[in-house]
This record gives sequence, C-alpha cells and structure tokens, in this order.
Amino acid sequence: MIYHNLLFVLAIVFAMWAVMARRLLTSAVMLALLSVCVSLIFFNLGAPWAGVFELSVCAGLITVLFIGAVSLIRHEDEAHPENRARFYALPLAAAIFAIAGWYYLPPFFEELAAWRRMASGSPAIGLALWDLRRPDLLGQILMLAAGVFVIKSVFPRRTEK
Amino acid sequence: MSVFAMDWYLIALLIFIGFYCMLASRSIVRQLIGLEIVSKGAMLTVISAGALTANIVFAQALLITMIVIEVVVVAAGLALLVKNFRVHGTADIWKLDGLKG
Repeated sequence: MIYHNLLFVLAIVFAMWAVMARRLLTSAVMLALLSVCVSLIFFNLGAPWAGVFELSVCAGLITVLFIGAVSLIRHEDEAHPENRARFYALPLAAAIFAIAGWYYLPPFFEELAAWRRMASGSPAIGLALWDLRRPDLLGQILMLAAGVFVIKSVFPRRTEK
Repeated sequence: MSVFAMDWYLIALLIFIGFYCMLASRSIVRQLIGLEIVSKGAMLTVISAGALTANIVFAQALLITMIVIEVVVVAAGLALLVKNFRVHGTADIWKLDGLKG
C-alpha cells in the first residue's frame, strides 16, 4: 500500500519536473521516468502486459522521438526561451487543486466505485487479445499505417524545380 | 478512504498537471508533453478501473490499443513540429497556421 502510493507520488513529482524543467531535454528524460513509474504501477496492479508495453513503447520509443525532435529545435529554444513565470506557479496551482479536491473528489470516487459491476470470470490474456479482440489488432495496424501516411504527407518529396 | 478513491485522487492531480502544461505553454513540444501526461493519467484510470472490477484482462487489451494510438499521435505532432520549424524557424504554436496550403 505504501509502495503503491509512493509510486503515484513519484509519478506526480516527475510530471511536475517535466513541466517545470527549463531545458526541453530534461523534460523528455523526466517524461521517460514518469513512464517507468506508470509501468511499475501497472505491474503492481497485476497488469504485466500493459506494463511491458508501457515500458518498451512509451519509455523507449516516445523518448527517442522526443529527444530527436528536441535536438533539432534546441538552439532556437535556448535563444528565445519562454516566459517561465507561469511554470513556476505550477506547484502553487497544483497545491490549491490538491487541497480543494481533497474535500470533493474522494467522496465522488467512492460513490463511483459503489456502482461497479464485477466481471464474471476473465479469460486468459492470450484469448482476450488474439481471439476476442481480433478486430482491435486490425485497427492498430491501420492506425500505424495512418501514422506512416501522416509523416509521408507532412514531408513530401520535392518535385518542383 | 478506499484504495480506488486514493488512486483516482492522485490520478486527478496528474491530469491537472498535464492540462496546466498545455494551457501555460505555447511551445509545441510542451503541448505534446502535457498531452503525454494526460494520456498517462487516462491509462492509469483504465487499469485502475479494470483492477476494481476484476476485469484487468480486457483493460490490458484496451490499453495496448491506447498505447499504439498515443505513439501515432506523438509521431504526427512531432512531424508537424519539425515541418513548422523548417518553414518558420520557430516552435511557437501560434505560427502553425502558416502551414496552411
């Protein structure tokens, strides 16, 4: 229980660090650490498949994409930095939200949890993923093809002389 | 307080941080970082609800789809960022309308 809440608090700390960091590279690395925390929470909640995907794709692939893009625009960002005052106000805003939410959100979530309907026995992950949700896999392949198509259309081959 | 309510309270805080980042910044990279944080919160809610109703297998299958969609969205957003940077030399979100054909 303490380990579980500690992982959540660590995830929030890394998220705040990612938002408040002055350098974009630090933000990207903190985002990767946030992903690692989230994947550890998945393992802790008994969802190892989701944890593995989160760790490999979100903490790995997306971080590589971010670092590649940030290294392209880093000089411009350091030459003309944004106004930092709004980011330094984030801990204050988050604290106000946390204190105000402490009185209203947990009772609402308790009520939400009372409406739950328990599942009647869940199948194995292989059955759920490969048999019952097979159209999802087709959708994922189409989604990846759409991503490739977007990048192809954003960077067309130059044909004009 | 139950574990579920405490989890969702902390997830609400995480999502607030992501939305604040998206509201406060004009840089495209920080917009995408905010979007990533919000989507992490959404994934945690899906898995937490799956654990609550003893239905974690379907929650995992749904989450794998969410992760794939997230990767595609981030890749498309970063491609727009690089294109915008090549055309205008800036990562400002207000300059994105200069890309219109």
